[in-house]
Amino acid sequence: MWAYVIRRVLATIPVMAFVALFVFSLLYLAPGDPAAVIAGDQATPDDVERIRASLGLDRPYLVRFGEWVFRILQGDLGTSIFTNLPVGHMIQQRIEPTLSLMLVTLILAVSIAIPMGVVAAWKQGTWIDRAVMGFAVLGFSVPVFVVGYLLAYVFALELDWLPVQGYTPFREGLFPWLENLILPSVALGGVYIALIARITRATMLEVLQQDYVRTARAKGAGQRSILFVHALKNAAVPIVTVIGIGIALLIGGAVVTESVFAIPGLGRLTVDAILRRDYPVIQGVVLLFSFVYVLVNLAIDLLYTLFDPRIRY
Amino acid sequence: MPDGATVAIPPGLAIAQAMPDVLPPVRARRGLWGFLRRYPTMAIGGGLLLLMLLMAVFAPFLWTKDPTSLAPALRTREPGAQFWFGSDMLGRDVYSRVLYGARVSLLVGFSVAICASAIGLAIGLFAGFIRLADSIVMRVMDGMMSIPPILLAIALMALTRGSVQNVILAITIAEIPRVTRLVRGVVLSLREQPYVDAAVASGTGTVMIMWRHILPNTLAPLTVQATYICAAAMITEAILSFIGAGTPPIIPSWGNIMAEGRALWQVKPYIVFFPAIFLSVTVLAVNLLGDGLRDAIDPRLAKKL
Repeated sequence: MWAYVIRRVLATIPVMAFVALFVFSLLYLAPGDPAAVIAGDQATPDDVERIRASLGLDRPYLVRFGEWVFRILQGDLGTSIFTNLPVGHMIQQRIEPTLSLMLVTLILAVSIAIPMGVVAAWKQGTWIDRAVMGFAVLGFSVPVFVVGYLLAYVFALELDWLPVQGYTPFREGLFPWLENLILPSVALGGVYIALIARITRATMLEVLQQDYVRTARAKGAGQRSILFVHALKNAAVPIVTVIGIGIALLIGGAVVTESVFAIPGLGRLTVDAILRRDYPVIQGVVLLFSFVYVLVNLAIDLLYTLFDPRIRY
Repeated sequence: MPDGATVAIPPGLAIAQAMPDVLPPVRARRGLWGFLRRYPTMAIGGGLLLLMLLMAVFAPFLWTKDPTSLAPALRTREPGAQFWFGSDMLGRDVYSRVLYGARVSLLVGFSVAICASAIGLAIGLFAGFIRLADSIVMRVMDGMMSIPPILLAIALMALTRGSVQNVILAITIAEIPRVTRLVRGVVLSLREQPYVDAAVASGTGTVMIMWRHILPNTLAPLTVQATYICAAAMITEAILSFIGAGTPPIIPSWGNIMAEGRALWQVKPYIVFFPAIFLSVTVLAVNLLGDGLRDAIDPRLAKKL
């Protein structure tokens, strides 16, 4: 088993290396002259040259890539063109709101979606099932920002139950922190809930037809115990896999959700960076999120042995 | 096709003649009504999408004004007789802008679906059939898939000038890995089929096997995937425009209209809500069409998903 863990951990290195190479190469792959694009329309030729030099576009590709990787391994993500601050520092300042948002969304989505999927599979073909599947289609179709504005309009502006926007740091108390995160989390969680509920239902339907479920029923196990103990446990692997893959949706959605709810997180940092064409910041955020995504999925892969003792490597 | 008995049967297959007597002919539902009854989701999705398409094409004839004409004196009017969906802070007619905005969304959705499917199909076939290329191509795709698609599109848009072509290009690049993976998976499973072995044994060339035996079988799942890509691309375009990294602000697109309405949304929510409704309905239509196609192609899945 340890051999598998080590092999699996080592296997992520080439993936991360490729991500780094790809993110780095975007500067060279982009059509046109990125230095001129970043400098903007009002830039003088001197400005363009200065940006070209600061991005390192005036030096050979491989030399630049080597230097860049070396600096990243030391934790240096580069320097913002606009603020001249280290990108790592800027990310550090903005990481808490994003992390909070994603964590609350994750907990919320999983605790809503899995019971939904289980019940839909149990009551297959009934109106409950149809309602869950209908919700799933809607969840996939209504974009994050549309749900966000709708929720903010109804629950914050009209009913005045929750704050319209903004963020309160965790150190100012659990309740104010949570209060500000409820609406954004529900908005961000929509697609994620749809995805998890759908896969839960599909896997549960398969599992519920297995012999051991019939055996459990025959020995007199209660419906709840059959669904949540016998069946759900056996359906865990695909569900957890999708929870991991779906984090990409959360990351992408967080960028938009933070704009809608004025949350000063990494998403806002990215959006501000786009408007200023501050490429080093965008590069840093993309790289960070991608690495987090790879590592989360690595962790999930390694956790399979916990969910399913039959898996032995 | 009319009843099976009336078809001329080649002499070698004479035994088949007995079939209609043994099996009562199945009366398939025919015509448009039969189709609608059989595939309601596809019918609803296709119908809505067609409606949006017609709306986009015939936008100039649907009582619209110039979507870019400014009227500062008439700004932020509530929806009413003069401005059906109200007017924005520059006095532009939101109804006209929303109708013209459908053009951008549909253009981006369809273009990305077609381009990503075509490129992904080519790479997937290549990877699935050439072992040496497979591991390299798939590692590259794994790497690309580790970057959340919206972020990849954002990074690409930050480096290029905003234009509809660049938006299409950026979203296409972000979507290619998923298509490649699908096609490669199908190719790998098809390679093990006896009829492919038979083709290899009879001396058929690799290119011919791919063209005649593999490619046609990838088209069904690929079509379903293409509809989902179309839906994802329309959402991504709106998100990119909304955060200022997409379609240039001069062009009315649903994301742009929402971005412009953002500052005023607490007092004039209709500027944001009308494009939001149109975007959601269009994406819903495409998703329903995709679900319907999937169910029609693989009825076994239909019961489960």
